[in-house]
Amino acid sequence: MPELENLKKVWDNVFSCMGCGECGFAVNPNAEIYLTCPVKEALGDAAFEIHFSRGRMSVLKSILKGAIPLSKELAEFVYQCTECGNCTETCHQCDENVVLKISEWIDHNNVWNALRKDLVQAGHAPLEKHATLIELMNNPEMKNPYGEEKSKKYAWADGFSNIKEKGEFAIFGGCTMPLRQAETLKNMMKIFQAAGKDIAMSKDEWCCGSIAMRIGDYKAVEEEVKHNIELYKSMGAKTVFSPCAGCYRTLKKDYPEIIGEELPFEVKHITEVLAEMIKNNEIAFKEAEAETLKVTYHDPCHLGRHMDLYEEPREIISKIPGIELVEMKRNRKNAWCCGAGGGVKSQFPELSLDISKERVREAIETGARVFLTSCPFCVGNLRDAVNQMSSEVQDKIEVVDIIDFIALKI
Amino acid sequence: MTEVFQKLKKIVTEKYISDSIYVRHAYSRNVNPVLQGVPDIVIRPKDAQEISEILKIANEENIPIVPRGGGCCEWGGSIVENDTGIILDMKRMNNVINLDQDNLVVTVGAGIAWGALNNYLSQFGLYTGCLGPGSGLTASVGGGISHHSVGAGGCAKYGACTNQLVSLEVVLPTGDIIETGSQANKFSKVPFNRFGNGPDLAGLFCGDNGIYGVKTQVSLKVFPRPPIAAYKTFVLPRKDTEAASQIMMEIRRKGIDVFDTIFIPQLVVVLGAQEGMFPLWKQLKRKRGILFYSIEANSEIELNERVKQLDEIFLSKKTEELGPEISDGNFAKWQYENPWHLYHNLWGIQPACEPFTAECFTPLNTLPELVADTMAWENECKEDMQKIGELTGNRIVMSSAGPVALIDGNNVEYTVGFNTSHSYHEGTTHEIIDELNLKLWKSLLIRTYKQGVQYYMCGSVPSKLMVEIGAYSQEYNNLLKSIKKTLDPNFILSRGKFNLTGEME
Repeated sequence: MPELENLKKVWDNVFSCMGCGECGFAVNPNAEIYLTCPVKEALGDAAFEIHFSRGRMSVLKSILKGAIPLSKELAEFVYQCTECGNCTETCHQCDENVVLKISEWIDHNNVWNALRKDLVQAGHAPLEKHATLIELMNNPEMKNPYGEEKSKKYAWADGFSNIKEKGEFAIFGGCTMPLRQAETLKNMMKIFQAAGKDIAMSKDEWCCGSIAMRIGDYKAVEEEVKHNIELYKSMGAKTVFSPCAGCYRTLKKDYPEIIGEELPFEVKHITEVLAEMIKNNEIAFKEAEAETLKVTYHDPCHLGRHMDLYEEPREIISKIPGIELVEMKRNRKNAWCCGAGGGVKSQFPELSLDISKERVREAIETGARVFLTSCPFCVGNLRDAVNQMSSEVQDKIEVVDIIDFIALKI
Repeated sequence: MTEVFQKLKKIVTEKYISDSIYVRHAYSRNVNPVLQGVPDIVIRPKDAQEISEILKIANEENIPIVPRGGGCCEWGGSIVENDTGIILDMKRMNNVINLDQDNLVVTVGAGIAWGALNNYLSQFGLYTGCLGPGSGLTASVGGGISHHSVGAGGCAKYGACTNQLVSLEVVLPTGDIIETGSQANKFSKVPFNRFGNGPDLAGLFCGDNGIYGVKTQVSLKVFPRPPIAAYKTFVLPRKDTEAASQIMMEIRRKGIDVFDTIFIPQLVVVLGAQEGMFPLWKQLKRKRGILFYSIEANSEIELNERVKQLDEIFLSKKTEELGPEISDGNFAKWQYENPWHLYHNLWGIQPACEPFTAECFTPLNTLPELVADTMAWENECKEDMQKIGELTGNRIVMSSAGPVALIDGNNVEYTVGFNTSHSYHEGTTHEIIDELNLKLWKSLLIRTYKQGVQYYMCGSVPSKLMVEIGAYSQEYNNLLKSIKKTLDPNFILSRGKFNLTGEME
């Protein structure tokens, strides 16, 4: 395989970076930007420029010019990035009237993805913990990165008569929610049951492969992609929805790119499904309680910046009686990452938690009691952060998946 | 170098120093497509004391040191030369140390960015007046003082950022730490005035491009932000540069304290609209040069009176006023609401295409002649530009006059340069592009130097050219050297800039 095969494909992205450094330092209230790189900020004084985009772009220019090689040492830096995409948003500060032209040439996550692919191809990655996850994901007895038996992924579904084996409206449950937050799936079914909605579910769904793709090991997911597409085709699915932001991004964005064609079914995130159900009056909420409850909403990177899905969760929240949504200072395109993505949670758990704590503090600043989000990875990491923080913090805020919140209100 | 690394590590601890090849390459570039200098070590000190100790070791070991704030220099000002030396990353020193609301002075760590500082001040209804350089979302206050920076906004009213300077804490190249202005008197409790207590030694470090000392703390005057503002944009007549120059002179003659007045030449308007960079001007019938103003006031009456005066000046030169909204083409409003974004009009016009730009100061009445001469230079250099275009497929574009900002006094900040490409293109490194770029760049600098302009961001290249072409008198050059030798006997700090390493002539 040619050296730097993938980086060479994005060379123009790399050399379009002029090194202005706003991806590291911008504070621009007019654009609602209050710093950019969660990794740099979590590392604090210990962050060198390689820890954010400008520095990495400079290194990549040197690598492409042949001045320095890829290496394991580089991989240790590279995999500290959550691939949240906030640097791209800052880089692309423009509006409908004035456009900074470089916004058309640089997609940072494409560059990081190419770099990770080349690191894997050159044998410098995956890093140790990532390798274990991929191994588990590929293990025929498991097919999930948690190392759990296959059957355990479907235990949550027992007893739900509205779950069918085949059908047009099918769930891709993912791994994290069934294996770590199964109550949320049960609550989802409670909502569907109340609305008289059936879903189809297979008991042979494999990991979507997100973890391996984010690490850059695309070879490891070839079987997963084929299997899952065939599986949903055989179920007669016309719409596949996922309660997981990571799976949603992977199915909707990565799968068609990998197979080079459109999928034979539509992919939706659960918030899109729920927003539609609310619009169609399929969800009846309880009456508002006496006191208005303040909530805030965290945009998962895989849903927001990666997939441009910002409004559906807010539409849902706005329709729940007695609820006031208070936005965090950084929201939508500028939302601060929870710290779990890009393989950071598994390889650098402390860094991941430090990032998450910053987001928790920001949520508390809004005065909200409930901290909503719509990604099991974000839920897990934000909860881990709250649990590590003081009891005062724990008394102030509770991290809740938007599905669980709706279930409480019907 | 290993021994030096160990010594330095003892000062800052392991967390804040690196000799990793990747960290070093991350600090090896500024904002230009050619210059690169890979340091041996990158170090992130927390205060003046640590910097003092670092500089003492650098002197003992004879290793050059370059301070780096935001790293936004266009001339290699914050990279090492010849791949040797230590980068002193100042960005750890980025805190607001004190805001004296009674006397309206803020004291900050020199590494804080202009954007972050002004965001902090906005809570108190204050701002820095001149908002620093166009790159101020990244560029540091210390770097701004080192370059007399302008460009982000407010420089027509407040001048270069050094105008706001009250006092400095500086670590001299030998490691001594001094304070200037009111703080030269050790009994002074707070920084309050730059001048007095003897000569203005702060001035020695203003615009020094980092050769005389490392700025560690900066005290600046701050100003209450006036509550209201007006902003209008005008299309200029055919001879846009002459008209812009005359209007700006008239504004000065009438003594109207505009916040900003900025001229965007026709070439930039035409190309910007054509290439989708300025959608707000797409519908303009006549795509000519643009001139806009913004002005602040404390009351409607005050504002209306000044707007009336300004409009009279603008309209008397056959300009055409655009509508009030940004979508009507009112760039003035956009710029006032989005400071730190008006720089390098043609940045990224094509993929991997970057400008060689340089901003200089020049008197208002010289602008038309200077622009004409720059365009003449462009015509003379077409062959070399075409060679770059042939190798990359990119169109090389002169941005010969954009933007031009009114600054303090009767001067403008004039941006010259040309868009060009990196030597790396689609898997191949064409070293000839670097050679051509440097040749063109130097030739443009020399051409404009000989027109009498002042470059304020001198970095590595223009500072040397100034000496090489004999622009400094021998006596002036000797004075520069003499001061350097006194302050920095081993030429440790920013070695090479201004060619200050030789003996006096």
